[in-house]
Amino acid sequence: MTQSASAPQAEYLQYICNACGYIYKEADGDPDSGLAPGTRFADIPDDWECPLCAVTKSDFVLYQPVDPRTRQACAPARPAPRGKGARVGVVIVGAGRAGWQMAQSIRDVDADVPITLVTACSGDVYDKPLLSVAMAKHIALEQLVRETGAQAAQRMGVNLLAQTQATRICTRTQTLHTTRGKHAYEQLVLAHGAQAALPANLPAELCWRINHLDAYLRLRAALGETPKDVAIVGAGLIGSELANDLALGGHRITLLDVQPEPLARWQAEHAGQQVLQAWKDLPIRFVGNVSVCTVEKIDGRMHVTTACGQQFVVDQVIAAAGLQTPNRLAQAASLEWNNGIAVDPISLRTSNASIHALGDCITVQGQASRFIEPIARQARTIAATICGCEPVPYEVRPAVVRVKTTSLPLTLSEIGR
Amino acid sequence: MNANDLPKDIAQTAIQQDLMGAVRAIAQGPLAQRAQSIDQEGLYPQDLLQQLAAVGGMSAHLDQAGKPGDYKAAIAAMAEVGKVCGASAFMMWCQAVCGLYMQSSGNPALTGERLQAHMQGLGLGGTGLSNPMKSFAQIENLLLKATPIEGGGYRVNGTLPWISNLAGDHYFGAIAAVMDGDQSAGREVMFILKCDAPGVTLKECPKFSGMEGTGTYAVQCKDLIITAADIVADPARPYIRTIRAAFVMLQCGIAAGIVQGAIDSIWAVESQLGHVNQYLDDRPQDLQAELDDLVGRVMTMAETPFDTSTEFFIDVLNARTEGAELCLRASQSALMHQGARGYLMNSDVQRRVREAQFVAIVTPAIKHLRKEIASLSAEELPA
Repeated sequence: MTQSASAPQAEYLQYICNACGYIYKEADGDPDSGLAPGTRFADIPDDWECPLCAVTKSDFVLYQPVDPRTRQACAPARPAPRGKGARVGVVIVGAGRAGWQMAQSIRDVDADVPITLVTACSGDVYDKPLLSVAMAKHIALEQLVRETGAQAAQRMGVNLLAQTQATRICTRTQTLHTTRGKHAYEQLVLAHGAQAALPANLPAELCWRINHLDAYLRLRAALGETPKDVAIVGAGLIGSELANDLALGGHRITLLDVQPEPLARWQAEHAGQQVLQAWKDLPIRFVGNVSVCTVEKIDGRMHVTTACGQQFVVDQVIAAAGLQTPNRLAQAASLEWNNGIAVDPISLRTSNASIHALGDCITVQGQASRFIEPIARQARTIAATICGCEPVPYEVRPAVVRVKTTSLPLTLSEIGR
Repeated sequence: MNANDLPKDIAQTAIQQDLMGAVRAIAQGPLAQRAQSIDQEGLYPQDLLQQLAAVGGMSAHLDQAGKPGDYKAAIAAMAEVGKVCGASAFMMWCQAVCGLYMQSSGNPALTGERLQAHMQGLGLGGTGLSNPMKSFAQIENLLLKATPIEGGGYRVNGTLPWISNLAGDHYFGAIAAVMDGDQSAGREVMFILKCDAPGVTLKECPKFSGMEGTGTYAVQCKDLIITAADIVADPARPYIRTIRAAFVMLQCGIAAGIVQGAIDSIWAVESQLGHVNQYLDDRPQDLQAELDDLVGRVMTMAETPFDTSTEFFIDVLNARTEGAELCLRASQSALMHQGARGYLMNSDVQRRVREAQFVAIVTPAIKHLRKEIASLSAEELPA
């Protein structure tokens, strides 16, 4: 890196954030943070923060995009297509970060293989971490979408099936069944993520769960422009980040958790005490040691009642009770399941030879790792295998967890659950 | 030839072998004789339906003294008939779901003698739930309106198009929007509508491309009076939730029969035409493997027909969709395999193509099923 500083005419490099996957391009710089285009990574001050997730420079590593010239060298090595006629290709389920990253990683090594991407949402490309900081960073809602699904599909040469539910996998015929017909696959990649869990006593029609852009936009529309009372049930990462951000947006937050303090997973690192201290001037009331037993809508307002008899009357209720992986597709394909779709730690292959999986829906030895950093590496591993390139073994690394509580960002280590 | 490639009898999965033997004897005997006239001349086979009912072919799924309902047997019986005549399998389904409405109504006026007569085939009936099902899925509006009358009961007005398995003295399950003056009262009532009740008129339908002979009429109601003795459920919606999976699941029997009939007709010409048929898509062993897989899943679901979970209902809708799609492919493939002989107007092969098209468009049609699966799969959030 010192080398690049001493040789300004050298080719511009790119560096990727280990926490969120943001790519710093020397050519573009980061003008919002005062880094002019052409600023070498080595010349960035040490206190510079990732514009997306606010980790610092030390969490960035050199990022080497795959040279398009290697595509041709790689492509012929792929396995011959099955059956008659045209190549069947790859079908990807899910168009979050994992799904699109998967498509991109395949395109990096194979310009021609047909890719079909099936997603229940619109397929629009956005950075999920921004949903936790949008108010603090004054990001306009219409700026959250970086690229529409249709644009991304066209750029990558992907057949996008948006607003389409994948309903079943038939492994015998290698067919994915969807609400818009059936799609044969040579290789199937599951990147459908996880769903926000909803405790049984919280009614779905009264409680928001924020795990994708569409739900977030609908919540913001429901909150409107004036300050509202919001109860957030669950003070883990997502609950705490949303509380922080919505409070900065002027809303009055009641944050409830069964644990005595927020971010209880990181009790040893005193994370809870630190955020409570940072929140002391924000309209956030944390109520610990409570479990919510009912949520009712009475005269247009939500009445949240705890088991110990406390009642909170608010305008909106958000459940942030963690994630769970939907098992419909895995079950139909008889995939090994261990708290999520079980994959081989090196190849990310499921128990079916033609099905790989990545992102929030997988577990390695029963452990999910629902962070952004591993996704790009996972996608490269799978792309190398299914396109017949030199294997790129996946390496499980503990994630850097950045708590995007902008009033006091915390960097924590991933803790096994 | 591999033994695994031979046509497998769907009925093997049924546990009531006596019932299956009796149903098969009727299907392959008198019904096979008459299948063409049912289709071409539109002859409603009332006597054969009554024979099928008399041997228990349309009531196996209903609880009887000492014998709990068996959905697997009911589906297998329908499939056995569907191999020979899709229209008759469809009428069996009409009769079967009408029995389901009556039994699960809990209304003593429907569960007593009327149900006994229905199970024995002394009474025949159908179902008018196509319109309400589409209404609940926001596809169309309810066509019947029920206005409460003094002393209980309702006055019903409106016209339902295309209700099957009807004749002058038959009856069927219907749903009407309950009215409060000119406005909807926000609920529905389900009842058994008797075709010979004052105010009810059956109107002949235009000729369809297939499924003639199914006793299909438009039903006009003018000030029809419904009393407590006719009520299946009031309000109807919570009740529909409990029977919807069973209702859709039973239809899989029609599809299974049509697909098996198509596969059998492919094998029928294999020794003569196999040398050239080998070049076709959707060969019989491929279709059979798909059918066996589908029937296996349906039979597993048939063990818990009243599971009200959303996930289970999605599984049922998936199976129903696949049944319709497989019907289309198998019947088309059978025509390709049989060639000109299957294209003759007296061939069951071309008739089956039209029967398969019916399975794909009758409520719930493939498009309707997919819309429903999409909407049930979506995460429910505050409005």
